[in-house]
Order: sequence, then C-alpha cells, then structure tokens
Amino acid sequence: MLPKFDVLTDEQINKIHKNSLKILQEIGVEFSYDPAIEVFKKHGQRVEGHRVFLDPDFVENMVEKAPAQFTLHARNPEHNLVCGGENIIYMPGYGAPFVYDADGGKRDATMADYDNFVKLAGASKNMHMTGGTVVEPTDVEDEIRHLKMAYSHIINSDKCFMGSSSGYEHAMDSIKLTAVLHGGMDVIKEKPALICLVNSVTPLKYDDRMLGGLMAYAETGQPMVIASLVMAGSTGPATMAGALSLQNAEVLAGITLTQCINPGTPVVYGSTSAVTDMSTGSLSIGNPENALFTSASAQFSRFYGVPCRGGGGLTDAKTVDAQAGYESMMVLFAASTTGVNFVLHTAGILQYYMAMSYEKFMVDDEIAGMVLRYLKGFDTDSDEKMAYDVIEAVGPGGHFLTQKHTRKNFKTEFFRPALSDRQSFDGWSKDSLDTNQRAKLKWQEVLASYTPPELDPAVKEKVEAFIEKRSKELLK
Amino acid sequence: MNPIFEEIKDAIVDGDEDLAIELAERVVAEKIDPVQAVQLGFIKGIEEVGAAWTSGEAFLPDVMMAADAMKAGMDVLEEVLAAGEGEGAYEDKGKIVLGTVEGDIHDIGKNIVGALLTSAGFKVYDIGIDQKAEDFVAKADEVGAKIIAASSLLTTTMKSQKVLVEYLDAQNLRDKYKVIIGGGPTSAKWGEDIGADGWAETADEAVDLCKKLLV
Repeated sequence: MLPKFDVLTDEQINKIHKNSLKILQEIGVEFSYDPAIEVFKKHGQRVEGHRVFLDPDFVENMVEKAPAQFTLHARNPEHNLVCGGENIIYMPGYGAPFVYDADGGKRDATMADYDNFVKLAGASKNMHMTGGTVVEPTDVEDEIRHLKMAYSHIINSDKCFMGSSSGYEHAMDSIKLTAVLHGGMDVIKEKPALICLVNSVTPLKYDDRMLGGLMAYAETGQPMVIASLVMAGSTGPATMAGALSLQNAEVLAGITLTQCINPGTPVVYGSTSAVTDMSTGSLSIGNPENALFTSASAQFSRFYGVPCRGGGGLTDAKTVDAQAGYESMMVLFAASTTGVNFVLHTAGILQYYMAMSYEKFMVDDEIAGMVLRYLKGFDTDSDEKMAYDVIEAVGPGGHFLTQKHTRKNFKTEFFRPALSDRQSFDGWSKDSLDTNQRAKLKWQEVLASYTPPELDPAVKEKVEAFIEKRSKELLK
Repeated sequence: MNPIFEEIKDAIVDGDEDLAIELAERVVAEKIDPVQAVQLGFIKGIEEVGAAWTSGEAFLPDVMMAADAMKAGMDVLEEVLAAGEGEGAYEDKGKIVLGTVEGDIHDIGKNIVGALLTSAGFKVYDIGIDQKAEDFVAKADEVGAKIIAASSLLTTTMKSQKVLVEYLDAQNLRDKYKVIIGGGPTSAKWGEDIGADGWAETADEAVDLCKKLLV
C-alpha cells in the first residue's frame, strides 16, 4: 500500500476539532428519540428537551473506546473483510430510487434491478462486498423491503453486505436474519457480520428512524457507519472549514452515543459532505470540494483512531458521459489515496445519488480496478522485481517481448482493462462503440454468465422460514 | 413619489429582513399609502430579484433572503391592507399552501420552492415540516388557497402525498384544490399514479407549473 497523504496540517486538525467540540458543548445536538435521550442523561450529559449538550472530555473519552479496526464476517470466510488500517473496501451505490438506462431513459428501480446489482457486485473482483440498498426496490412494500433486500444479498453472493437501519424493528430483523445465516446471535456478537449506515439530519439532528437503527446495532455489537452529509451553503456553512467542523461534530455525537450504549462497538467515521449548487439548491457531489471533505474525513478518522467511510464513484452527470467519468475518478481516487477504508457508492451512481445505472456500474468497476492497481504501488522486494538480470540479458538496443521474465511478470504487474478500448483506430472503428455502449454489452454478458455461490440448503430453508414468518407479521 | 418606496425596494433586493420590517412599520406609523408601498416598494424589489434570478445573475441566497424580507415586511402591513386602507387594492398572483408531508422533516427544497414562488408574485403559506393531510387542507381553507404543494424527500414518506390526495377525495374537496408534489424520490409517474395535478423536479419548474395551473 502507498503512503497516504494529508490535506490538513496538525494545527488545522486541532482547530477544527476544537470548533466541533465547542459546537457540541454550547449549541448541542437534537436527538428526537427518547431512548437515546435516556442514554445521554444516564451518562450525565446536559439535556434540554431533546437537545443534548456534550461535554468535550466526555466525547473524547467515548470516541477513544471505539476500535481502530474490526473484521466483518462473510458467509464465505474467504470474503471476510478487515475494515480499518491500510485496507480499502469497495461496494455498489446505496439508496437510489431510480435507474437510468443507456439510452437516457429514467424509471423506478425494482427488485429485479436490486438482484442484478447484487449479482454484478458478486461477480466483480473489484467490489469487496455487495453493499446494501443497492437501489430502492419501489415495487416491494415498505414493511418488508428490508427482508427482501437482505435475502437478495444472502442468496446472490457470499460476500459481506449491509443491513437495514430504518428504525429499531427493521434493524433488528436484519440482524436476526444475519444471525440465522451465521448460526446464531452469539456467533455474530463474537464475529460481527452486518454493518449499517446511520445518517445524521444536518444540521445537528438525528431522527427517530436512524437512532432506532443505531441502538439495535450497538446493542447487538454489530458495526455501523455514522455519517454526516453537510451540503455546504444550504444545510451547512458555505466555508469548507465551517462545514467540516459541523460534520465532525455530528459524527462525534453519533459515535459517542454508540459507545455509551455498548463500549467497543465497531463504528466507522462517515462523511458524504459536499456542496450545494447555488442556482438550483441541489446537492452536487462530483467536485473538488467533495474530494477535499472526503480526504479530510480520512485524516480525522486517523486522528480519532477509527476507520473511515467516504467517497465513491460520485458524479452529478445524468448519463455515462465524460463528466460521469472524470468526476467519479476524482472522488474515488481522492478517497482511496488519502486513507478512506469503506467506500460506499463505489459503483453505479449517477446524479448525486438519485439514480443507479448498469453502464455506470461497469465504468466505475473499471475505475475501481485502476485505483486498486495504483494503490499497490511498486514492488521492489526481490531481484526478480528489480529485473537487473533481464536488463543485462537484453542489453542495449534489444527488446523484452520474448523474455521469460516478461511473460511471467506482466500479468501481475499491469492492470488489464475490462472496459477501456486500447485498439487502433481501425480496430475500434469496426463497431465504433463508445464507453456507454460497451458497458451495456459488458454488464449483460456478466449477468448472463454469473452463477451465485451455493448456499447450504438447510441454512437457506431457515433463512426463508424467518423471512416468511416476519413478512406475515409485518404485513398483517 | 415618497422616497420610502425606493428604500423598501432596496431592502428587498438586499434581502434585509430587519430593514424591511422597520420600513413597513414606518409606513403604518406615518400613515403612508400601504398599497403603494406594496406595489412600488415590495413588489418592485422582488420583481427585480426575480428578473436577476431568471437571467442567472442572482443565486439562491439572494432570492431566498429577498423572499424572507418581503414576507416579514408584508406581515407588518397585513392589518392595514386588510382594513382596505390605501388607493386601489393589492392582489397577489394566487395563494399557495406549501409544506413537507407527514413523517418527513426535510425542508430545504420546500423552502427554495417557497422563495421562488414568492419572487414570482404568488402568496405562499408555508406550514412547515411533518404536516398531516388535514393540516394542509385546513390552511388552504383558511386562506382561500387554490394550490396545495406537498414535498417529500424520502421514499418512505412519499406515500403521505398519496394520503393527502385520498384525504381530499374522502372529504369531497378534490375539485376545490390543485395538488402538486415534489421532492427527491418523486417523479412524474408517481404524480400520475396518486392522482396529483402536477409534479415538478426543480423549483423553477414548480413556478411554471403553478402559473399554468392558475390560468
């Protein structure tokens, strides 16, 4: 792994950290959920109504309790993931209600799309897990959506996945279902197997739904991402330092709550802060400010000693065009080279999280492969890699194409594109396909040839029985 | 022309809420014609901002602060206007009740829509976040609004927009109001599915939609 670079000086980190602590102490954070308020009261924090004012030392002590890294367990142990340290985890986009087609069409996302994106992530060597809420399957009733989504991850892949954080009850369903998959609650308490996304409502609020989810995961020792999305200029100040201070305060408040409930609960410091487009009020994510917030968040995570979530293949483009490519590469590259560990939204996102696109997924998968190769850097460990002997053997004026050393090494040293076109003009012009068109052919090919890894029939039966029972109860 | 009208116009263009209130209070105290204050001051100002917005010179903070200043000043004048003081009458382009649906606490998009509607000359009654169907309808009834505009940012609260339309149906009030919807996860198709009268993706499109509906 390459050394990570910083975007803030130590002095800047301290200044922003102090600003965040002052926000928490003097302005406070609103927690709408009564059980969360009780937790803060029990820990001696000042509470007025639903607003909690956090003591700076208390926050620092609580954040200290969160682990620097943890292992997330998959049903296939080969896919277990270490979150934290030098590791990076890629996965599909999260939460988009729409799918945009290659020809510019827009439609509601469905459960069939959901299964497809899980399969694409399952098939990809660059996606380390299959994510969560890969699209919002709008054709499934709200009440049981979380069960159907979890089932898709369980059945279509053996990689790690994310669970529901949509209220205490749905969160518990996801956790219990994962326990069924892994052989019991005791097993997953010991070996965490489900992670979820908890978002603040910027500025300075956490709502009932998310807090219910947070408490369920904390109680059962399952990891979670605590994330804040400050839209600088609308939900936060228009200055970078101000927006970062606000984000940092919110994330610290969330992490503090998790450690009050269950000290040592694995948490990931999350950021999706970006800017507001001041002509439309829309969120804008494919920009240098987002890249800076992401890199600064990675640095803050190192400062607090917890893993970091941020970045992704992020763009404001509505179709797979040059804008989609250059914006996505900028944000993913910044996240990956400055130390983000958990990259939600690595692949598939168009138009500031509003849509998923199959073609964009394939483009981002390619970008992810390129970035992963970049992160491997140079291998100088052996004489073989230093290649003195082969340089000597060829000597001045020769070539290396027919050397055994070449044949042996190029496959592991070079990134091999799956999507990019490296042909001559004549070669390319036979079909004249642009990236969007090639990506369309590619995902269809991948889906057609994908076979999901088999799930033990006895476990499958238990999983299905759990879902059937809960569905009946929830739809009553 | 009383120089205060020009001052009011400038206060609106600058988005200076405190000054707009202060000037409106002077209009009342000095018994200056309130209808003229509205037409030559407040409306002149908001029209100027609206034009700058349309031409791309103004940005959201400019328009939203102008709309806030306008609302604050107009609130001060409301009593004297209602009493029929002044020459002629002031008429808005239409009354709109605006809010975020039940279960949803997101309001930035809704506030942007409110500001742009105000700058386009509509009278907007913003009832806030997490509002039940009956709250929308009660306000619309109270102020005589023709349009009810309901916002939702979450896929889980979109159904409250449907509940609003159903509530109007159940109360036999469906024909009395035009219902328009918007918000991140909503779509033209969703609007059609639930029987809304219109959907807009952006705040600018919402203004056009209201103009069309109130013809």
